[in-house]
Amino acid sequence: MEIKHTALAGTLESSDIQFTLSKGTGVEINLDSQVEKQFGNQIRKVITDLLADYGIENVNVRAVDKGALDCTIKARLIAAIQRATDTQNQPNWEVLG
Amino acid sequence: MEITTLDLKDFYYYEQWQSLVEKEGLVIENLDDITETLGIYEDDELIATGSYFENVLKYLAIEPDYQGGAVFNKLVSTLINELATQNIFHVFVFTKPQYKQSFEYLGFQIVAETSVSSLLETGDYSIDQYIAGLPKVAGKNISAIVMNANPFTLGHRYLVEQAAKASDYVYLFVVNQDASLFTTEERMDLIKQGTSDLENVKVVSGGQYMVSFVTFPSYFIKSRADIATYQTQLDAQVFKRVAKVLHITKRFVGSEPYSPTTEIYNQSLAKVLPPEVSLEVLDRQAVDQDIISATKVRSAIQNNDLTDVEKYVPETTFKFIKTNLPTLLRRIHDGN
Repeated sequence: MEIKHTALAGTLESSDIQFTLSKGTGVEINLDSQVEKQFGNQIRKVITDLLADYGIENVNVRAVDKGALDCTIKARLIAAIQRATDTQNQPNWEVLG
Repeated sequence: MEITTLDLKDFYYYEQWQSLVEKEGLVIENLDDITETLGIYEDDELIATGSYFENVLKYLAIEPDYQGGAVFNKLVSTLINELATQNIFHVFVFTKPQYKQSFEYLGFQIVAETSVSSLLETGDYSIDQYIAGLPKVAGKNISAIVMNANPFTLGHRYLVEQAAKASDYVYLFVVNQDASLFTTEERMDLIKQGTSDLENVKVVSGGQYMVSFVTFPSYFIKSRADIATYQTQLDAQVFKRVAKVLHITKRFVGSEPYSPTTEIYNQSLAKVLPPEVSLEVLDRQAVDQDIISATKVRSAIQNNDLTDVEKYVPETTFKFIKTNLPTLLRRIHDGN
Protein backbone atom coordinates (compact mmCIF):
# COMPACT_ATOMS: atom_id res chain seq x y z
CA MET A 1 0.00 0.00 0.00
CA GLU A 2 1.07 3.56 -0.70
CA ILE A 3 1.19 6.41 1.78
CA LYS A 4 -0.99 9.06 0.15
CA HIS A 5 -0.38 11.91 2.60
CA THR A 6 0.91 12.62 6.09
CA ALA A 7 -1.26 11.36 8.94
CA LEU A 8 -1.06 11.41 12.70
CA ALA A 9 -2.50 9.18 15.42
CA GLY A 10 -2.04 8.90 19.17
CA THR A 11 -1.12 11.40 21.85
CA LEU A 12 1.88 12.43 23.92
CA GLU A 13 0.28 11.46 27.20
CA SER A 14 1.67 8.86 29.53
CA SER A 15 1.30 5.22 28.34
CA ASP A 16 0.50 6.37 24.81
CA ILE A 17 2.49 6.78 21.59
CA GLN A 18 2.16 9.34 18.83
CA PHE A 19 2.76 8.31 15.22
CA THR A 20 3.30 10.62 12.27
CA LEU A 21 3.50 8.77 8.97
CA SER A 22 4.64 10.54 5.83
CA LYS A 23 5.84 9.69 2.34
CA GLY A 24 9.36 8.35 2.12
CA THR A 25 11.71 6.01 0.30
CA GLY A 26 12.07 2.67 2.03
CA VAL A 27 10.98 2.25 5.62
CA GLU A 28 12.56 4.84 7.92
CA ILE A 29 11.74 4.73 11.61
CA ASN A 30 12.60 7.65 13.84
CA LEU A 31 11.77 6.58 17.39
CA ASP A 32 11.87 8.80 20.44
CA SER A 33 11.33 6.86 23.67
CA GLN A 34 12.39 7.06 27.29
CA VAL A 35 12.51 3.29 27.36
CA GLU A 36 14.61 3.12 24.19
CA LYS A 37 17.36 1.13 25.93
CA GLN A 38 15.10 -1.58 27.30
CA PHE A 39 12.37 -1.73 24.65
CA GLY A 40 13.58 0.19 21.58
CA ASN A 41 14.12 -2.92 19.49
CA GLN A 42 10.84 -4.46 20.58
CA ILE A 43 8.93 -1.29 19.61
CA ARG A 44 10.69 -1.17 16.24
CA LYS A 45 9.79 -4.80 15.63
CA VAL A 46 6.10 -4.17 16.33
CA ILE A 47 6.23 -1.27 13.86
CA THR A 48 8.09 -3.07 11.06
CA ASP A 49 5.95 -6.22 11.38
CA LEU A 50 2.73 -4.25 11.16
CA LEU A 51 3.96 -2.19 8.19
CA ALA A 52 4.90 -5.46 6.45
CA ASP A 53 1.42 -6.88 7.16
CA TYR A 54 -0.03 -3.86 5.38
CA GLY A 55 2.47 -4.17 2.53
CA ILE A 56 3.86 -0.68 3.11
CA GLU A 57 7.36 -0.42 1.71
CA ASN A 58 7.91 3.31 1.52
CA VAL A 59 7.21 5.42 4.58
CA ASN A 60 8.77 7.76 7.11
CA VAL A 61 7.62 6.81 10.58
CA ARG A 62 8.04 9.30 13.37
CA ALA A 63 7.14 7.78 16.74
CA VAL A 64 7.17 9.59 20.07
CA ASP A 65 6.65 6.96 22.73
CA LYS A 66 5.50 7.67 26.27
CA GLY A 67 5.70 4.10 27.51
CA ALA A 68 2.97 2.50 25.39
CA LEU A 69 2.25 -1.25 25.57
CA ASP A 70 2.46 -3.30 22.36
CA CYS A 71 -1.33 -3.37 21.95
CA THR A 72 -1.42 0.44 22.15
CA ILE A 73 1.44 0.76 19.68
CA LYS A 74 -0.42 -1.48 17.22
CA ALA A 75 -3.74 0.31 17.66
CA ARG A 76 -2.18 3.75 17.13
CA LEU A 77 -0.12 2.61 14.15
CA ILE A 78 -3.14 0.96 12.49
CA ALA A 79 -5.08 4.21 12.89
CA ALA A 80 -2.19 6.21 11.41
CA ILE A 81 -1.79 3.77 8.49
CA GLN A 82 -5.46 3.82 7.63
CA ARG A 83 -5.54 7.62 7.76
CA ALA A 84 -2.37 7.94 5.65
CA THR A 85 -3.68 5.50 3.03
CA ASP A 86 -7.27 6.82 3.03
CA THR A 87 -8.62 3.40 4.04
CA GLN A 88 -10.38 4.34 7.27
CA ASN A 89 -13.57 2.74 5.97
CA GLN A 90 -11.93 -0.47 4.79
CA PRO A 91 -10.47 -2.16 7.86
CA ASN A 92 -7.89 -4.80 7.02
CA TRP A 93 -9.48 -7.78 8.79
CA GLU A 94 -6.55 -10.10 8.18
CA VAL A 95 -4.19 -7.79 10.06
CA LEU A 96 -6.71 -6.90 12.75
CA GLY A 97 -7.60 -10.56 13.34
CA MET B 1 -9.92 17.80 33.40
CA GLU B 2 -11.82 19.26 30.52
CA ILE B 3 -10.38 20.74 27.34
CA THR B 4 -12.29 23.38 25.45
CA THR B 5 -11.80 26.11 22.87
CA LEU B 6 -11.58 29.55 24.44
CA ASP B 7 -13.31 32.38 22.64
CA LEU B 8 -11.02 35.29 23.45
CA LYS B 9 -13.50 37.78 22.04
CA ASP B 10 -15.70 36.87 24.97
CA PHE B 11 -14.52 38.99 27.88
CA TYR B 12 -15.33 36.24 30.40
CA TYR B 13 -12.77 33.91 28.80
CA TYR B 14 -10.37 36.65 27.85
CA GLU B 15 -9.98 37.77 31.46
CA GLN B 16 -9.18 34.24 32.70
CA TRP B 17 -6.82 33.64 29.81
CA GLN B 18 -5.03 36.97 30.22
CA SER B 19 -4.50 36.45 33.92
CA LEU B 20 -2.96 32.98 33.40
CA VAL B 21 -0.77 34.01 30.47
CA GLU B 22 0.54 37.13 32.22
CA LYS B 23 1.15 35.23 35.43
CA GLU B 24 3.52 33.04 33.44
CA GLY B 25 5.40 36.13 32.30
CA LEU B 26 4.25 36.13 28.68
CA VAL B 27 3.62 39.41 26.92
CA ILE B 28 0.31 39.57 25.08
CA GLU B 29 0.92 41.50 21.94
CA ASN B 30 -1.84 41.24 19.53
CA LEU B 31 -4.79 38.87 19.26
CA ASP B 32 -4.46 38.96 15.46
CA ASP B 33 -1.61 36.49 15.72
CA ILE B 34 -3.80 33.79 17.26
CA THR B 35 -5.87 31.38 15.17
CA GLU B 36 -7.31 29.33 18.00
CA THR B 37 -6.89 29.04 21.76
CA LEU B 38 -7.46 25.93 23.88
CA GLY B 39 -7.99 25.88 27.63
CA ILE B 40 -7.85 23.07 30.19
CA TYR B 41 -10.21 23.41 33.14
CA GLU B 42 -10.08 21.65 36.48
CA ASP B 43 -13.49 22.19 38.05
CA ASP B 44 -14.12 25.82 37.17
CA GLU B 45 -10.54 26.97 37.14
CA LEU B 46 -8.55 27.53 33.96
CA ILE B 47 -5.31 25.66 34.72
CA ALA B 48 -3.63 25.61 31.32
CA THR B 49 -3.86 27.27 27.93
CA GLY B 50 -2.15 27.17 24.56
CA SER B 51 -2.79 28.78 21.18
CA TYR B 52 -1.55 28.51 17.65
CA PHE B 53 -1.12 30.70 14.62
CA GLU B 54 -0.73 28.77 11.38
CA ASN B 55 1.74 26.03 12.40
CA VAL B 56 3.28 27.83 15.38
CA LEU B 57 2.32 27.08 18.98
CA LYS B 58 2.03 30.19 21.16
CA TYR B 59 1.07 31.53 24.55
CA LEU B 60 1.46 28.23 26.38
CA ALA B 61 0.87 28.77 30.08
CA ILE B 62 0.12 26.41 32.97
CA GLU B 63 -0.84 27.15 36.58
CA PRO B 64 2.26 26.59 38.77
CA ASP B 65 0.56 23.77 40.75
CA TYR B 66 0.01 21.76 37.58
CA GLN B 67 3.37 22.27 35.90
CA GLY B 68 5.91 19.58 35.14
CA GLY B 69 4.12 16.68 33.56
CA ALA B 70 0.72 15.39 32.59
CA VAL B 71 -1.06 18.70 31.99
CA PHE B 72 1.73 20.01 29.77
CA ASN B 73 1.79 16.79 27.72
CA LYS B 74 -1.97 16.85 27.32
CA LEU B 75 -1.94 20.49 26.26
CA VAL B 76 0.78 20.10 23.62
CA SER B 77 -0.67 16.82 22.43
CA THR B 78 -4.14 18.30 22.00
CA LEU B 79 -2.75 21.27 20.07
CA ILE B 80 -0.80 18.96 17.74
CA ASN B 81 -3.86 16.77 17.17
CA GLU B 82 -6.00 19.83 16.50
CA LEU B 83 -3.51 21.02 13.86
CA ALA B 84 -3.40 17.51 12.36
CA THR B 85 -7.15 17.68 11.71
CA GLN B 86 -6.34 20.74 9.56
CA ASN B 87 -3.63 18.78 7.74
CA ILE B 88 -0.86 20.68 9.47
CA PHE B 89 1.81 18.21 10.61
CA HIS B 90 4.94 20.31 10.81
CA VAL B 91 4.72 22.32 14.01
CA PHE B 92 6.98 24.94 15.57
CA VAL B 93 7.23 26.38 19.03
CA PHE B 94 9.05 29.49 20.08
CA THR B 95 9.81 29.32 23.81
CA LYS B 96 12.11 30.27 26.65
CA PRO B 97 15.27 28.18 27.06
CA GLN B 98 14.07 26.76 30.41
CA TYR B 99 11.16 25.01 28.65
CA LYS B 100 13.29 23.60 25.85
CA GLN B 101 13.71 20.26 27.58
CA SER B 102 9.99 19.78 28.18
CA PHE B 103 9.40 20.08 24.45
CA GLU B 104 12.33 17.86 23.56
CA TYR B 105 10.79 15.28 25.85
CA LEU B 106 7.73 15.35 23.57
CA GLY B 107 9.79 14.72 20.46
CA PHE B 108 10.48 18.33 19.45
CA GLN B 109 13.93 19.13 18.04
CA ILE B 110 15.92 22.33 18.30
CA VAL B 111 16.06 24.49 15.17
CA ALA B 112 18.09 27.29 16.76
CA GLU B 113 18.58 29.02 20.08
CA THR B 114 19.89 32.15 21.72
CA SER B 115 20.41 32.97 25.40
CA VAL B 116 16.81 34.17 25.72
CA SER B 117 14.78 32.02 23.33
CA SER B 118 14.62 28.64 21.64
CA LEU B 119 12.92 27.57 18.44
CA LEU B 120 11.87 23.92 18.19
CA GLU B 121 9.98 21.89 15.60
CA THR B 122 8.32 18.50 15.26
CA GLY B 123 6.40 16.50 12.69
CA ASP B 124 6.87 15.42 9.11
CA TYR B 125 9.45 18.03 8.06
CA SER B 126 12.63 19.52 9.53
CA ILE B 127 15.33 22.07 8.88
CA ASP B 128 17.68 19.24 7.93
CA GLN B 129 15.27 18.17 5.20
CA TYR B 130 15.00 21.79 4.05
CA ILE B 131 18.78 22.10 3.82
CA ALA B 132 19.09 18.70 2.09
CA GLY B 133 16.68 19.96 -0.60
CA LEU B 134 18.77 23.03 -1.48
CA PRO B 135 21.16 22.93 -4.45
CA LYS B 136 24.81 22.51 -3.43
CA VAL B 137 27.62 24.44 -5.09
CA ALA B 138 31.39 24.38 -4.77
CA GLY B 139 33.47 27.53 -4.50
CA LYS B 140 35.61 29.59 -2.19
CA ASN B 141 33.43 32.63 -1.87
CA ILE B 142 29.84 31.59 -1.39
CA SER B 143 27.55 34.34 -0.21
CA ALA B 144 23.87 34.81 0.47
CA ILE B 145 21.09 37.38 0.36
CA VAL B 146 17.66 36.99 1.92
CA MET B 147 14.94 39.11 0.37
CA ASN B 148 11.21 39.54 0.38
CA ALA B 149 11.32 41.73 -2.76
CA ASN B 150 7.76 42.97 -2.62
CA PRO B 151 8.32 43.59 -5.54
CA PHE B 152 11.85 43.21 -7.01
CA THR B 153 13.30 46.72 -7.58
CA LEU B 154 16.45 48.21 -9.08
CA GLY B 155 17.71 48.42 -5.50
CA HIS B 156 17.41 44.64 -5.11
CA ARG B 157 19.03 44.24 -8.50
CA TYR B 158 22.01 46.35 -7.39
CA LEU B 159 22.46 44.29 -4.23
CA VAL B 160 22.40 41.00 -6.17
CA GLU B 161 24.80 42.35 -8.81
CA GLN B 162 27.32 43.46 -6.21
CA ALA B 163 27.13 40.11 -4.42
CA ALA B 164 27.46 38.23 -7.72
CA LYS B 165 30.57 40.23 -8.65
CA ALA B 166 32.24 39.55 -5.30
CA SER B 167 31.38 35.83 -5.02
CA ASP B 168 31.75 32.52 -6.79
CA TYR B 169 28.13 31.76 -5.99
CA VAL B 170 25.25 33.64 -4.41
CA TYR B 171 22.31 31.94 -2.74
CA LEU B 172 19.32 34.22 -3.03
CA PHE B 173 16.78 33.11 -0.44
CA VAL B 174 13.27 34.36 -1.13
CA VAL B 175 11.01 34.95 1.87
CA ASN B 176 8.31 32.34 1.58
CA GLN B 177 5.40 33.94 3.37
CA ASP B 178 2.23 35.08 1.68
CA ALA B 179 1.82 38.23 3.73
CA SER B 180 2.79 40.76 1.09
CA LEU B 181 1.08 42.56 -1.77
CA PHE B 182 2.89 40.32 -4.24
CA THR B 183 2.41 36.60 -3.67
CA THR B 184 5.38 34.34 -2.97
CA GLU B 185 5.13 32.88 -6.46
CA GLU B 186 5.07 36.33 -8.08
CA ARG B 187 7.98 37.60 -5.99
CA MET B 188 9.99 34.48 -6.80
CA ASP B 189 9.25 34.80 -10.54
CA LEU B 190 10.17 38.48 -10.65
CA ILE B 191 13.44 37.80 -8.84
CA LYS B 192 14.26 34.97 -11.24
CA GLN B 193 13.43 37.11 -14.28
CA GLY B 194 15.34 40.09 -12.92
CA THR B 195 18.50 38.06 -12.24
CA SER B 196 18.40 35.54 -15.09
CA ASP B 197 21.55 37.03 -16.68
CA LEU B 198 23.59 36.42 -13.52
CA GLU B 199 24.71 32.83 -13.88
CA ASN B 200 26.23 32.40 -10.44
CA VAL B 201 23.04 33.36 -8.60
CA LYS B 202 20.87 30.54 -7.26
CA VAL B 203 17.35 31.67 -6.43
CA VAL B 204 15.85 29.39 -3.76
CA SER B 205 12.92 29.44 -1.39
CA GLY B 206 13.60 30.46 2.19
CA GLY B 207 11.02 27.92 3.34
CA GLN B 208 9.79 28.55 6.83
CA TYR B 209 13.32 29.14 8.02
CA MET B 210 14.26 32.53 6.57
CA VAL B 211 12.25 35.49 7.87
CA SER B 212 8.88 33.80 8.26
CA PHE B 213 6.02 33.96 10.73
CA VAL B 214 8.01 31.32 12.56
CA THR B 215 11.42 32.91 12.89
CA PHE B 216 10.55 36.57 12.69
CA PRO B 217 6.83 37.35 13.18
CA SER B 218 7.55 41.04 13.91
CA TYR B 219 8.47 41.49 10.27
CA PHE B 220 4.82 40.90 9.44
CA ILE B 221 3.05 41.88 12.67
CA LYS B 222 3.97 45.15 14.35
CA SER B 223 5.83 44.48 17.59
CA ARG B 224 7.82 46.11 20.34
CA ALA B 225 11.51 46.73 19.69
CA ASP B 226 12.77 44.32 22.37
CA ILE B 227 10.63 41.53 20.92
CA ALA B 228 11.93 42.25 17.43
CA THR B 229 15.48 42.08 18.81
CA TYR B 230 15.21 38.60 20.25
CA GLN B 231 13.30 37.30 17.24
CA THR B 232 15.87 38.66 14.80
CA GLN B 233 18.73 37.16 16.80
CA LEU B 234 17.02 33.80 16.62
CA ASP B 235 16.43 34.22 12.88
CA ALA B 236 20.15 34.99 12.49
CA GLN B 237 20.99 31.76 14.36
CA VAL B 238 18.75 29.78 11.99
CA PHE B 239 20.55 31.39 9.06
CA LYS B 240 23.91 30.42 10.52
CA ARG B 241 22.83 26.82 10.72
CA VAL B 242 21.90 26.81 7.03
CA ALA B 243 25.04 28.77 6.10
CA LYS B 244 27.29 26.24 7.77
CA VAL B 245 26.06 23.34 5.64
CA LEU B 246 26.13 25.38 2.41
CA HIS B 247 29.57 26.90 3.20
CA ILE B 248 28.18 30.42 3.02
CA THR B 249 30.75 32.84 4.43
CA LYS B 250 29.20 36.18 3.64
CA ARG B 251 25.77 37.74 3.77
CA PHE B 252 24.84 40.90 1.90
CA VAL B 253 22.16 43.30 3.10
CA GLY B 254 21.05 46.77 2.08
CA SER B 255 21.30 49.60 4.62
CA GLU B 256 17.95 50.48 6.09
CA PRO B 257 17.04 54.15 6.32
CA TYR B 258 13.26 53.71 6.62
CA SER B 259 12.09 50.66 8.53
CA PRO B 260 13.07 50.48 12.22
CA THR B 261 12.30 46.73 12.31
CA THR B 262 14.61 46.00 9.39
CA GLU B 263 17.27 48.18 11.00
CA ILE B 264 17.00 46.09 14.18
CA TYR B 265 17.31 43.02 11.97
CA ASN B 266 20.52 44.30 10.40
CA GLN B 267 21.94 45.05 13.85
CA SER B 268 21.11 41.54 15.06
CA LEU B 269 22.78 40.04 11.99
CA ALA B 270 25.91 42.10 12.66
CA LYS B 271 25.96 40.82 16.21
CA VAL B 272 25.18 37.14 15.63
CA LEU B 273 26.68 36.17 12.25
CA PRO B 274 30.43 36.80 12.77
CA PRO B 275 32.94 35.26 12.87
CA GLU B 276 31.61 32.33 10.78
CA VAL B 277 29.70 34.58 8.38
CA SER B 278 30.68 38.16 7.68
CA LEU B 279 28.06 40.81 7.04
CA GLU B 280 28.37 43.31 4.24
CA VAL B 281 26.01 46.27 4.38
CA LEU B 282 25.65 48.08 1.07
CA ASP B 283 24.25 51.58 0.80
CA ARG B 284 20.86 51.74 -0.77
CA GLN B 285 20.69 52.82 -4.38
CA ALA B 286 18.98 56.03 -5.39
CA VAL B 287 17.59 57.53 -8.57
CA ASP B 288 17.98 61.32 -8.61
CA GLN B 289 18.78 61.23 -4.88
CA ASP B 290 15.55 59.41 -4.25
CA ILE B 291 16.30 56.12 -2.47
CA ILE B 292 14.73 53.11 -4.17
CA SER B 293 12.41 51.08 -1.99
CA ALA B 294 9.71 48.52 -2.57
CA THR B 295 7.47 50.53 -0.24
CA LYS B 296 7.65 53.46 -2.67
CA VAL B 297 6.81 51.15 -5.55
CA ARG B 298 3.75 49.92 -3.69
CA SER B 299 2.52 53.42 -2.94
CA ALA B 300 3.07 54.40 -6.57
CA ILE B 301 0.91 51.40 -7.54
CA GLN B 302 -1.71 52.51 -5.06
CA ASN B 303 -1.69 55.98 -6.66
CA ASN B 304 -2.01 54.35 -10.05
CA ASP B 305 1.20 56.15 -11.07
CA LEU B 306 3.03 53.91 -13.53
CA THR B 307 5.59 56.61 -14.42
CA ASP B 308 6.71 56.61 -10.81
CA VAL B 309 6.78 52.80 -10.67
CA GLU B 310 9.00 52.68 -13.75
CA LYS B 311 11.70 54.78 -12.04
CA TYR B 312 12.33 52.16 -9.37
CA VAL B 313 11.98 48.76 -11.01
CA PRO B 314 13.63 46.71 -13.76
CA GLU B 315 11.75 46.16 -16.99
CA THR B 316 10.65 42.66 -16.01
CA THR B 317 8.94 43.87 -12.84
CA PHE B 318 7.46 46.87 -14.65
CA LYS B 319 5.90 44.66 -17.29
CA PHE B 320 4.32 42.49 -14.63
CA ILE B 321 2.91 45.46 -12.72
CA LYS B 322 1.57 47.09 -15.88
CA THR B 323 -0.20 43.89 -16.95
CA ASN B 324 -1.56 43.11 -13.50
CA LEU B 325 -2.39 46.61 -12.29
CA PRO B 326 -6.13 45.98 -11.80
CA THR B 327 -5.39 42.85 -9.72
CA LEU B 328 -2.82 44.68 -7.60
CA LEU B 329 -5.15 47.64 -7.04
CA ARG B 330 -7.91 45.28 -6.00
CA ARG B 331 -5.59 43.56 -3.51
CA ILE B 332 -4.62 46.93 -2.02
CA HIS B 333 -8.27 47.86 -1.82
CA ASP B 334 -9.11 44.56 -0.11
CA GLY B 335 -6.42 45.31 2.44
CA ASN B 336 -3.64 42.89 1.51
